[in-house]
Amino acid sequence: MLTYLRKRIISSGLPLLVVIVGVFALARMTGNPAALYLPLNATEAMREDFAVRNGLDQPIWVQMAQYFGGILRLDFGESMRTGESAGAMALRAFPATLQLAGTTMALAIVLAVIVGSAAALKPNGILDRFSSFLSMTAASIPDFWLAIVGIWVFAITLGWVPTSGVVGMAAWVLPVATLVMRPFGTLVQVVRGAMVSSLSEPYIKLARAKGATQYRVVGAHALRNAAAPGLTVAGDLTVGLVNGAVVVETIFGWPGIGKLMIDSILQRDFAVLQACVLLTAVAIFVLNILIDIGYALLDPRVRPSAGARKRRKARVEHRGQQNGPKAPTTPTTTGSAATAVLDA
Amino acid sequence: MTNSPHTAPRARRISMAVAAGALLSTTALAGCSVANSEDSTSGSQAAVAGDTLRIVLQQEPPTLEACESNLTSTGVVVRSTITEPLIERNPSTGELEPKLATEWSSEDDTTWTLKLREGVKFHDGSDFTAEDAAATINRAVNSDLGCNVEGYVFGDDDLDVKAVDDNTVEVTALKADPILPLRLSFLEVVPAETSTTEKVREPIGTGPYKLDAWNAGQSIDASAFAEYWGEASAFAKANYQWRSEGSVRAAMITSGEADIATGLSPEDSIGDLGVSYPNNETVALRMHADKAPFDDIRIRQAVNYAIDKEAIVASLYGGRDKAAAQLVPEGVVGHSESLPVWEYNPEKAKSLVAEAKDDGVETSAQINMIVRTAQFPKIEELGQVIQEQLSQAGLNVNLKMLETSQHLTYQVRPFPTDEDGAIMLMTQHGNQAGDAAFTVDQYMTSKGAQSAFGTPELDELIDTADAATGEDRQAAFEKVFQYQNDEVVQFAHIAHQTGMLGIAGTVSYEPNSSSGDELRLAEVTAK
Repeated sequence: MLTYLRKRIISSGLPLLVVIVGVFALARMTGNPAALYLPLNATEAMREDFAVRNGLDQPIWVQMAQYFGGILRLDFGESMRTGESAGAMALRAFPATLQLAGTTMALAIVLAVIVGSAAALKPNGILDRFSSFLSMTAASIPDFWLAIVGIWVFAITLGWVPTSGVVGMAAWVLPVATLVMRPFGTLVQVVRGAMVSSLSEPYIKLARAKGATQYRVVGAHALRNAAAPGLTVAGDLTVGLVNGAVVVETIFGWPGIGKLMIDSILQRDFAVLQACVLLTAVAIFVLNILIDIGYALLDPRVRPSAGARKRRKARVEHRGQQNGPKAPTTPTTTGSAATAVLDA
Repeated sequence: MTNSPHTAPRARRISMAVAAGALLSTTALAGCSVANSEDSTSGSQAAVAGDTLRIVLQQEPPTLEACESNLTSTGVVVRSTITEPLIERNPSTGELEPKLATEWSSEDDTTWTLKLREGVKFHDGSDFTAEDAAATINRAVNSDLGCNVEGYVFGDDDLDVKAVDDNTVEVTALKADPILPLRLSFLEVVPAETSTTEKVREPIGTGPYKLDAWNAGQSIDASAFAEYWGEASAFAKANYQWRSEGSVRAAMITSGEADIATGLSPEDSIGDLGVSYPNNETVALRMHADKAPFDDIRIRQAVNYAIDKEAIVASLYGGRDKAAAQLVPEGVVGHSESLPVWEYNPEKAKSLVAEAKDDGVETSAQINMIVRTAQFPKIEELGQVIQEQLSQAGLNVNLKMLETSQHLTYQVRPFPTDEDGAIMLMTQHGNQAGDAAFTVDQYMTSKGAQSAFGTPELDELIDTADAATGEDRQAAFEKVFQYQNDEVVQFAHIAHQTGMLGIAGTVSYEPNSSSGDELRLAEVTAK
C-alpha cells in the first residue's frame, strides 16, 4: 500500500509543479495591471512608482525567483487590490468553499446511492424510468438558472429561506440545493449502471440463494462492487467543486475561493491568484490521493501489494505444480465478490 | 480464493470508516456557520430591520483607506459616512459647502487659508485639529503612499501645507489653482497619527458612523458615533453586504433583507422600489483620426448623424437617460445648455460618406468599435444598434467586446498601434468633481491621457477655460464643447445616463448624482 501511495504521490506531484510555474507565467501574460489600479489620468511617474512598489519593474526571472522563494516561506506577497496578505485571503476563503463542496457531495452521494440502487433493483421499471428522468434533468439544468429561480420561488414568493448570504442554517439551503443537482444527476446514472451490473453477477444470485436479505444483498454485496466507478466520478465532481463553485458563490454572496479567484484574474491581482491556484491545486492533489486510497481500499486489484501477493502466490503454485501434486487453482475474481459469497 | 479471508473485511471497515469520517466531518462543518463567519455573527445577526440600516452593494470594498475613497467601491462606504472631507460639494447644486472646514479663502488662487470646525472628535476620542488636516493633505498628496486620489485629482504636483494654529491650515499650490478647494473636497480627513508608510484598511474618521467590524468576504458593520459633531443619525447601526448579481440585490430589497441596494437596473425586477437618478455618467464614442476612414472629418460627422440617440434612449433605456451633446451633464460647471444634440439624419450621414468616398477617402476601411463587456446595462445591445446604424450609413464596423483590462489598453495612452482598423472606443465618463476641467484636460487636449487627438486651437481654448473663474469659466468651457462639436469631432456623444437604487418602503432617501460614489447614510431616515 505504501509503495502504491508513494507512486501516486509522485505522479500527482508533477502536475502540481506545472501548476505552480504555469500560474506565474500565464498570469503575467495577461498584461500590466497598472491601468486597473491607477486612475485613468495617472501620470507616467505614477505608473513607474506603481511598478516599483509591486516589484513589476524587476526582470521576469527575478520576479519568478521571488515567487518561488515566497512559496518556500509560504509567503505569497500582498494583494495589489486590498493590500492584505494574499495567502491569508486565500486561506480565509477556502474553508467556505470546502464546506459547500463537502456538504454538497455528501448529500449528492447519499441521495444518488439511494435513488440509483432503488432504480437498479428493477431495470426499466417505473421507478427506474422516473429516476432516469429525474437524474438527467438534474444533471442538465444550468446552475445559474436554478439559483435565480430558486431565489424567486423560495426566497421571494414563499419567503422560506433568505435570498443569499451566509448567516444561519437557512442560508445553506439554496446554495447547496443548487449545487447538488448536477453531481446527484450524474451519480445516480453511474450508481444505477454499476448496480444493475453488480446485481446480475453470479455471486449475488448465490447470496440470494443462501437467504441473504434484500438489504444485505444490495447494501453489503452489490453496492461495494458498484462503489468503485461511483468513487471515480464523485472524485471528479468534488474536484470541480473544490476548485470553486463560481456561479453559486457569486449569486449567493458565498465568500469562497472560486469568486476570489475570478476577481483576482479580472483585477490582475497576481499574488492572490497565485495563492488561490496553489491552494486549490494542493487540495486537489490531496483529494486525488484520498480518492486513490479509497479506490485501493474498495478494489484490492489496484493495489500493487495485492498484485505482488497474487504474483508471489502464483509463483508458489507454479513451483508446486512442477514439484508436487497439482494444487487446485482458483480463477481470478474480485476479492470483494469472493468475500461477498463468504459473508453471505 | 485469491484473497485472505481477513483482507476484504478489514479493507471494508477502513473504507467505511473513511466514508463515515468524511460524512461526519462534513456534517460537522455544515452544522457550524460558514468558515470565518463566527466573528461576524454578532454584527450580521444584528442586521435586522429596525435600528439597523442595511445596505447591499455591488462588490466588497477592496479597502476603506481614506486616500482611496475616490474609488467608487471604497467611497460609497467611507465618504461622509465613516470619514469626512474639509469641504463638501453639494451634488445637486454643485456648490462647495463647509464640512470640517467652515470657511476658506485666497487672495491669489495660489495660497488658500482654511478655518477649521471646532469641537470635532475622531472615533478614537481624540480632537480634530489643524495638525490632522495638514497631515491628511500631506499623506494623500505629498507622500510616497501612491494614493489613488493623488493621481485622480492632484497629479504629480505637490502642495505646501502648514498648520497655522489649532484651527487654521494654509495650503499653497505650485501655481494658481482656482479650483483647489474643489480638489481638497476629495480628501477625507484622518488623524495625524495615521501611517504615512502604509495604507490603512480600516480608517478612523470623524463621520456620523464608526466602523465596528469588517468581516472580510461577508459584511461591514458600523454604528452611529455618539460624539458626532453634527445631527444624530436616524439609525443606531449600519450593515453593508455585497452581492454581484443585480437581481439578487433587488430580491434582497423586495424580500425585506436590505433597505438600500446600489447599482440596479429595471431588468432586475425591482418594480416601484427602484428609484432612478442622474449619475453623472456620459456615454460617448471616441474616434481615432490616425487612420481611414476617421482621418476625414466628414466621416466623423457622419457617425454623429447616423446614430439615433433619442431612439436608443427610448428603446434601450426606457426614456430615463438623456441624449447627449457633450461629455458632461447638467450640474457640472461648463455644461452648455444651449449646445444642440446632434440631429439624427441618416440621409445626411450617407451623403457625407459618399462625398468623402468621391474625394478618395477609403470609406470602406474597417472600423473597430471597442466596447467593454458589462460596463453598464445593455451595453452589448447598444453596441449592436450603433454597428447596424453605421453600417446603414455605408461604414464598415467591426464590434469588439473586451473585458476591462483589455479595454483599458484602448482607453488610455499609449493606444495600440497594431490595430487592423480605425479605432472607435465606446467610453463611459463620469465627472464626479463637478467641473469640466476634470473632463476636457483628459479627453480633449492634444496630449490628454484619454484623448485620441486635438488641435492647437482647442488646446488654447482649454488652457483659457482652466485658468478662468466664475461666469467666465462657465462660458469658456461652453466654448470648448462647442468647438469640439464644430471643428474637431473627436466624439459622438450618445447619452447622459441614470443610475438606479433599490429603496425599501421602510426608509426614506433622495438619491442624487453622487449616490453611486458616496452614499451618505446620515441622509437616510426611517419612514
